[in-house]
Amino acid sequence: MQVLTDFVLRHPASIAEAAELLAGPGARALAGGTDLIANMRHGLERPKMLVDLSAIAEMGALRWAGAGVTIGANVTIACLARDTRIIGELPAVAQAARSIAGPGHRSAATVGGNLCLDTRCVYYNQSEAWRRSNGYCLKRMGDVCHVAPQGKHCHAAYSGDLAPALLSLDAEVEIAMPRSTRRAPLAELYRDDGARHLNLERGEFVTAVHLPAPLPGTRMAYRKSRARGAIDFPLAGVAVALAASAGRIEFLRVALTGTNTRPLLVDGTREFSGQMIGGALLEKLGKLVQNQVSPMRTTVTASNYRRQVASALAQRLVKELGLAT
Amino acid sequence: MKRILSLLLNGRRREDAVADDMLLIDYLRELTGLTGTKRGCDGGECGACTVLLDGEPVLACLTLAVRCEARRVETIESLGESGRMNRLQQAFHEKLGTQCGYCTQGMIMAGEALLRRNPNPSETEIREALSGNLCRCTGYVKIIESVQAAAGKAP
Amino acid sequence: MTKPVHAVGPVRTAGRPQPLIDGVEKVTGRALYTADLPSAHALTGEILRSPVAHGEIIRIDTARARALPGVRAVITGADCDVAYGVLPIAHNEFPLARGKVRYWGEAVAAVAADDARIAREALELIEVEYRSLPVYTTAAAARAEGAVPLHADKPDNIEREVSHVFGDVDGGFAAADLVRERNFHYAEVAHAQMEPDCTLAEYDPERGRLTLHSVTQVPFYVHLTVAQCLKMDPAAVRVVKPFVGGGFGHRTETLPFEVIAALLARAAGATVKVELSREQTFVVHRARPETDIRLKVGMKRSGEITAVDAEVVQRGGAYAGYGIVTILYAGALIHALYRTTAVKYRGFRVYANTPPCGPMRGHGSVDMRHAFETMIDTMAGELGLDSFAARRANLITPPYRTINDLQVNSYGLPECLDWVEQASGWKRRKDKLPPGHGMGVACSHYVSGAAKPVHWTGEPHATVNLRLDFDGSITLLTGAADIGQGSSTLLAQVAAEALGIGLERFRVIAADSALTPKDNGSYSSRVSFMVGNAALAAGKELRSHLRNAAARRLEVNAGDIECLGETYRVAGSDRGISYREAVREALAQDGPITVKGTYTVPEELQGGKFRGAGVGPSPGFSYAAQVVEVAVDEDTGEMRVENVWVAHDCGFAINPLAVEGQVHGAVWMGMGQATGEQTQFFQENGLPVRANFLDYRVPTIVESPPIHVKIVESHDPNGPFGAKEASEAALAGFLPAFTSAVADATGIRVAELPLTSDLLLEAIHARRRSERLKRSRGGK
Repeated sequence: MQVLTDFVLRHPASIAEAAELLAGPGARALAGGTDLIANMRHGLERPKMLVDLSAIAEMGALRWAGAGVTIGANVTIACLARDTRIIGELPAVAQAARSIAGPGHRSAATVGGNLCLDTRCVYYNQSEAWRRSNGYCLKRMGDVCHVAPQGKHCHAAYSGDLAPALLSLDAEVEIAMPRSTRRAPLAELYRDDGARHLNLERGEFVTAVHLPAPLPGTRMAYRKSRARGAIDFPLAGVAVALAASAGRIEFLRVALTGTNTRPLLVDGTREFSGQMIGGALLEKLGKLVQNQVSPMRTTVTASNYRRQVASALAQRLVKELGLAT
Repeated sequence: MKRILSLLLNGRRREDAVADDMLLIDYLRELTGLTGTKRGCDGGECGACTVLLDGEPVLACLTLAVRCEARRVETIESLGESGRMNRLQQAFHEKLGTQCGYCTQGMIMAGEALLRRNPNPSETEIREALSGNLCRCTGYVKIIESVQAAAGKAP
Repeated sequence: MTKPVHAVGPVRTAGRPQPLIDGVEKVTGRALYTADLPSAHALTGEILRSPVAHGEIIRIDTARARALPGVRAVITGADCDVAYGVLPIAHNEFPLARGKVRYWGEAVAAVAADDARIAREALELIEVEYRSLPVYTTAAAARAEGAVPLHADKPDNIEREVSHVFGDVDGGFAAADLVRERNFHYAEVAHAQMEPDCTLAEYDPERGRLTLHSVTQVPFYVHLTVAQCLKMDPAAVRVVKPFVGGGFGHRTETLPFEVIAALLARAAGATVKVELSREQTFVVHRARPETDIRLKVGMKRSGEITAVDAEVVQRGGAYAGYGIVTILYAGALIHALYRTTAVKYRGFRVYANTPPCGPMRGHGSVDMRHAFETMIDTMAGELGLDSFAARRANLITPPYRTINDLQVNSYGLPECLDWVEQASGWKRRKDKLPPGHGMGVACSHYVSGAAKPVHWTGEPHATVNLRLDFDGSITLLTGAADIGQGSSTLLAQVAAEALGIGLERFRVIAADSALTPKDNGSYSSRVSFMVGNAALAAGKELRSHLRNAAARRLEVNAGDIECLGETYRVAGSDRGISYREAVREALAQDGPITVKGTYTVPEELQGGKFRGAGVGPSPGFSYAAQVVEVAVDEDTGEMRVENVWVAHDCGFAINPLAVEGQVHGAVWMGMGQATGEQTQFFQENGLPVRANFLDYRVPTIVESPPIHVKIVESHDPNGPFGAKEASEAALAGFLPAFTSAVADATGIRVAELPLTSDLLLEAIHARRRSERLKRSRGGK
């Protein structure tokens, strides 16, 4: 039998109630559990209280307002991947959802959970006995980052698949706090610190994602590199949203996952507006991506490969989408 | 903390005193004696414990048992009627979709979820539906054939 | 008294596709694996493992753990001073470390407690003090000057050095038109069977008896070893193999947790369940070692191989296990696939601070086969020969005795090559594939059981009992362990075929040392051939009982009776009796009948006399050829296996359905090793980096290719109905066929496996750089 640390499970029915419970010490929000429970089994998390968000009905809806949509944090990845309107109008989001883990994860995992996915590292996602033998690490219980022992920065990589797709589409998140909510650009949910990669204070949690109507003519896609055809977290995941006409870029947004401690909206793509999609542009884009990703030795796959494949996928998607007729 | 868990397990109502921190896989295997659901990894990596929760495939090793309150849980033991194999079980048996059998129940439950939703899946759809289930014996060739054979039969 | 019979012929079961006789249990969830056995009464056994990969144990204090309420037993290395292992000359492992630990995760102490929570709490209370020693995670580091020996008797950390020369090697190279030499590196891989390790040990203090249910492929070895380690009379031990969730070699020897469970059960006077996590199961390991190969081959313009010079270094891990066997197989199985006239082989099995290696599907042959087939392909390319032609230039004509005394009596390789060439459209398609696509071919082979068992007793290699009682049912009793390969089904088919009756009359009871005759176990593909022959002999023996009974009843000579399965009839007449009547007559005379069939490998198939000659000889060699087609994405280095065509010579397919399944599995397991699977250890501390199913990348269904199988039947003169093994030979060929296909697609050969996307992309970028350089030079 598995041994999880003793905890109490609570099932608040409202956002306010959940926020109050989560403000207590040792409380942790539980969404689908596919990340958190796995981490608890490895002793990475030892919450005293789990606050199960699944009973909060208002977080479970997918609401369209014109061509924009609000996706409740409790919407499962499977629902998102199967939603015909998402597939039709926001294909990058559906592609990202479909690429997450396996079907057994997707039917439990949620949009909120995937956005708040813990960062990952070969020195971190190991058993308790393993980490203890290794002197633990900066992310948990230790004071050294084994990836970069000189620094005091945790390099664990963020590997959620939805975030780049949503970032590329200008998403905002709705964050509940005790007694209020706030709305922020999705990018602001994240910090550049693998040990604490979410800008969430105690008691705060994501309740929904807002996606504005895509700009006219937007084409979008998400593609991930992984060792196998399923299950795996991205070695690098790339989302591209662009509009183009006659082979010329109107606007371009590129977002990445798997390569940094947080999902990344590539900076500097504005310059491509008005340029022809061709070898020169793709080469510039490739360099841009390569310069902004910072994959470290957090996976068993070489970090340089993750850098190169991020760039190759970005180039490929821009070419495919930009030149599609 | 323990509480009374009341659920519909394989079509039968059940009530058990269950600790908050008990995983569904342990509830099934140790409390109810339904050992058909297998443990193959240390959490969410292999699919061997796939069961259906309200008809959707989930991993029992990542599911807290008490979250199944008032829900419908189906395991491999529930398939078939009067002790006869259902179409998927029969196909896995006849087509050798099972060798050592350890991943089989997870494969069949994932396949069952697929066929209920999509009675005539393409090969790509079969692969996608079973993509979270590892098998070390078959190379998956006869697993795909088994699901195809089952889909070809009336339910 | 007898009515005229209108007999139909005997029922044919051998050669017909047969679903597994225990398949219904597997698909319904009723099959009980070790962890599924009723164990509500059992104590939980937990193992304390070493946090260091190499160190001396200075002190162990278990007092606080013993004092914890709910703890029923605590054991350490002090509780077992009997070393065990595989070959009698290399018993150097203890169930719990004594004095020294040699790999991370090695068992140091164990606890039996009322539940898992208490057991784990107790482990925290055991104090162990270690003095760290240098950690060696590569063979080179362990062999370096001044390295601390892992074992006192091997000061240079070399467990076994093999040096074999057959034929005139210098002369062979001199006669060659082309000589090439290359180095290859192979990562260690793991069996990754789906069922984690588990043992349920039940000790009865009143009678001093121990019953073990365990995940083993070799119940007999477990039985012997546990009796030795516990210093018990083997008669007081019983070992039962329940359903087993795969083996592939992981469970071919007694494993530490099995002995630990037994020790705990005795110490607690109770039943103890020891269930390992996936990580711990990876650390038990016993699989294919990290291997370096230097290979030199001489070839004539015709493709004929004139000489081979091979050197192999295997990082064998911390203990001996099957190590000597593995390093010998790597040399021995250079032979018997093609004609070999001059072969020099040097092998080094090296101790290191990693989990002990052992046998894994294709034991010893796989990495060497990749190197060898790669050499054939590249050299054929240099000589302008087609890959098929180069292989055909080296075929054997049976009967054939290799220069290292392996006897090949059947050889379906030519037909295998023909089929894969034709089915893959090789001639038509090979040079016309779109860019980024490629095809490769390779051959491979394997033994049908080792002619000399590792545990030599002089007894027959295999024994099967058939028990016939009043109800007319036949119970087949075998010690052979069905681990999913379908051995129980196959043995029933063989016996049923001999008797000409249907399988519905059969039950199989397998692998329970209280009930079934001793069997060496399910490894080196011995079961179909050896136990199959024993089942055939037993079936014939029972048939002869029934013929005699029928003869008595019909008042003719037994020689006049023909067995038609459900009918025993006077040949050439319509006088006969039914099977049931024959059974009644036989039992009336003898009472319930148990017959025995045995198989012993004939002396002339047992190999040569030189040191190390015991490894390699087999009563039958199986053969396979395959063509692999890949597509390569040059932007990302990703490779997709699009198709595999494989032909396997299994002599005769007793169960064609199972043969197909075995060949699929073997090819696919080869794909795992070729494309992504590998274990990995941190050099500084020996921690396993990939001891889970996310980083040990067993392929998923998504990227697994269609595998087209052709069964070739060469009818081995010694196999049961001509059968040979079907589950191992096809593995090794995948690796070279795959890398050749990638080379065909990209022009790149990476001398390292697995060939992952990052390695290939690096090589593609290097190639592009050199192409650019060439272009710019050419432009000047």
